[in-house]
Amino acid sequence: MVGKILIYISFFASLISVAGFFLAHLGKDNFLKIGRTFFHITAIGFISAAVYLMYNILTHQFQFAYIWEQSSTDLQLPLLISTFWAGQEGSFMLWALFTAVIGIFLLNFVSKGDRLEPQAMAIYALVLSFLGVILILKSPFNYLWEAFPKEVDFGFRPPEGRGLNPLLQNFWMSIHPPTLFIGFAALTVPFAFAIGSLMKNEYDKWVQFSVPWILFSGGVLGLGIMMGGYWAYSILGWGGYWAWDPVENSSLIPWIINIAGLHTIIAQKKTGGYKKTNIVLNILAFLLVLYSTFLTRSGILGDSSVHSFVDPGAEVYLALILFISSFTLISVGMILFRYKSLRDLRTDNSKFLTKESFLFIGAIVLSLSALVVFVGTSLPIVSKSTVDISFYNNMNLPIAIVLMILIGLGLYIEWKQTETAKLLQNILLPGALSLIATIILFVIGMRDPVYILFGFVSLFAFFVNARFALRVIKTGKLNFGGMLAHIGIALFFLGIIGSGRYSDEVNLSLEQGIPQEAFGYKFTYEGITPFMDPNNARDTMFAFNVRLEKDNKEMVLRPVMFYSSFSDGIMKNPDIAYFSYKDLYISPMSLEEPSPFPKESIHNLKKGVTEKISGLEVEFVDFDFGNMQKGGKEMASGNYILGAILKVKDGQTEETINVRTQFVNGAPSPSPVTLQNNNNFYFYFLNMSVKGDEQGGTTATVSIVDPSKMSMGSQNESFVITAAIKPFISVLWSGIVILCFGFVFSIIRRRKELGIKFPDNPEPEKNKSVKTNKK
Amino acid sequence: MTMKIKVILAAVVLVVFVVVGFVSFMDNKIEYATFNQAKNKKKTVEVKGVWVKDKDAKFDAATSTYSFFMKDDDMTEMKVVYDGAKPNNFDVADMIVAKGKVKDDVFYAKEILTKCPSKYEGKGEEVQKMYNQ
Repeated sequence: MVGKILIYISFFASLISVAGFFLAHLGKDNFLKIGRTFFHITAIGFISAAVYLMYNILTHQFQFAYIWEQSSTDLQLPLLISTFWAGQEGSFMLWALFTAVIGIFLLNFVSKGDRLEPQAMAIYALVLSFLGVILILKSPFNYLWEAFPKEVDFGFRPPEGRGLNPLLQNFWMSIHPPTLFIGFAALTVPFAFAIGSLMKNEYDKWVQFSVPWILFSGGVLGLGIMMGGYWAYSILGWGGYWAWDPVENSSLIPWIINIAGLHTIIAQKKTGGYKKTNIVLNILAFLLVLYSTFLTRSGILGDSSVHSFVDPGAEVYLALILFISSFTLISVGMILFRYKSLRDLRTDNSKFLTKESFLFIGAIVLSLSALVVFVGTSLPIVSKSTVDISFYNNMNLPIAIVLMILIGLGLYIEWKQTETAKLLQNILLPGALSLIATIILFVIGMRDPVYILFGFVSLFAFFVNARFALRVIKTGKLNFGGMLAHIGIALFFLGIIGSGRYSDEVNLSLEQGIPQEAFGYKFTYEGITPFMDPNNARDTMFAFNVRLEKDNKEMVLRPVMFYSSFSDGIMKNPDIAYFSYKDLYISPMSLEEPSPFPKESIHNLKKGVTEKISGLEVEFVDFDFGNMQKGGKEMASGNYILGAILKVKDGQTEETINVRTQFVNGAPSPSPVTLQNNNNFYFYFLNMSVKGDEQGGTTATVSIVDPSKMSMGSQNESFVITAAIKPFISVLWSGIVILCFGFVFSIIRRRKELGIKFPDNPEPEKNKSVKTNKK
Repeated sequence: MTMKIKVILAAVVLVVFVVVGFVSFMDNKIEYATFNQAKNKKKTVEVKGVWVKDKDAKFDAATSTYSFFMKDDDMTEMKVVYDGAKPNNFDVADMIVAKGKVKDDVFYAKEILTKCPSKYEGKGEEVQKMYNQ
């Protein structure tokens, strides 16, 4: 009850807050206070609801359907905490929580000075209203007896929950989703500023204080996306860090647009141009977050992704549609409403070789990249088809090359005007360095012409930005964040060239104890070590020890496979040898137990059907239940005798034989039965299957085999792996880390814009805003 | 003058990008198909269906392929050879999506997605079981 009441309070308070801020926007100043007060009530309500949910998770209150579904008592604390966001209801709660927390900071910020407070906060509070609607429809606070009224009675509290999917039982689960959701929540801020500017019909002021907010949202969202990539690479064993999966794509699209908007807003700050572009991009980034949520939460992509989707039910589907269409309508409506003033804004006609036009081209190119991903990801919705991932790769390759050129040249380009001769002179040194480095890469194996070009421009971008960053660092100033970020992206692309284009993989079937060569390494499978993962108390895991030897150095990699009782399937985790210039990646595929029975000797016999096998006519009459009691309780214990009664016709003689097999702990140890007059065939009973006729009916699996052809126990088990070499993937990860530091330094540098030096005179500013609104 | 050149240049680049994009898009589009439709197509397609459990399904360590029989929505059965080991959740999946091409009446799959039964109904039973205990 408490949780639901808190959500309702937040929802209604947010509506009042929207109304209050909107009235203040219309000039009724005294409503501003109501807007603020109820905004705080909204935020505190959501935060309290989240705390309440977390409290119930930590104390294992399984009478809540959500907690029962996602959590269990055997989880360690970090994973127990992460069950908060393991399902849809909790994810929305988390999103609302972060939006509320950021909202409190935002309100505190905008209320100090002329910072679009009534307009931006009205929009921001409206976003919280919609999150409230979704949380009302899809509440994490439903009791079991509300979720399953037919199955259980009021007040039932199970002793144990279903537990967390083992795929999610991992360190990254406790950090990757929250990071993404902070990013999603933070993207609401630039959106609110952009719509607020439209409402106020004032397009200059917001760029003075929104850059740090855009940097924050882009930095955190980017970090979240990349964590997902690392998780997929290192634990989930997808083989790579990016699979162009719809779930990955849908968070990438708003990020790219956000980054595009970040660049044009910097151009606007310097030159006053690109006002319309900035409004559109910052609106678009948020709408794409909503679109992303719709794609991943509505179940609409169910058939085309490796992520599993849960159909949220028709109500939530409609709420999501309503969410995205309302904000799209508001955005389009506001732009149309201000069409005249937007049209009259200065159209930028700066020269080509200027920083501002480079930033603009960069934004266009980034937007094209987002468009490519958008089209590919959305295709399953509009047609019964998907795109191959080569579409994303091929289309983004030229985009990446252009970006690297822009990032490299960009630093030598001046604002407003650049001298061509000076530019050419400047790029000589980094150009020469890049050429040398490219030649080195060519010598060690980079031969694909397009990738040579990609490599060259990435190196160029790297050298130019490194040179400038060093210069800035020497002066002791902090404004090298952008350069750092660009160094990171250049390294990231170089890592993609190595690990993407020049990775190599091979399938190996390693018979135990017998070494095999691949990539210059000797691979030896040395058997299995069972172990328990403290994060997963239910299943025993098995490490498959593979010894790697090269040049008298050796190491053991231990990929893991285990049967997960939660997912009723085999889970596989890779193991990776990290070297400075490459990774050696081992994904387990399967363990092949040797079978003494040749494949062609095994037959699935249908009950009552006579089959011709090796000149014999064999009919499976019925099962032989041995000494079992009626009901077959012995089968549960795993120790029993089971067999098949076979009618065998050998030429003219017909004979009925009982082929029995002793099962010990569920494992069959079959013993042979022969015909009276024919010793050429051994009969073994291997397995039974009782199913409906459509699935194959009742069958017995038997082996009818020439004893001389059987291989008895001479063979060892084989461990089948995919081994891959991923060159320069460490460059890729270091690029990402540097990129993140770039964001951090940029925010530190721009901290002044967050209000420290900003003139602090709210009263007269507010009056001014009222006047402009009356236009 | 420069303005005009800039606009023309931008337009040319954009048109080239869109055309290349469209061609690449059509090339890489993977449509859903049945086995019979897939036979007549040279392009990679996606076939939805169910695993025919009573027919031979095995992993071949020599080629690192997993072969099994699959029945599509039109009840056509075809042997599928998947480039990899038995996919996760294969046994419990109530639907399989195989991405690949047909060659000599065998569907060679590069990628297989397994769709597990809607957990919702299962949950109800689970709750009841727990409740009855």
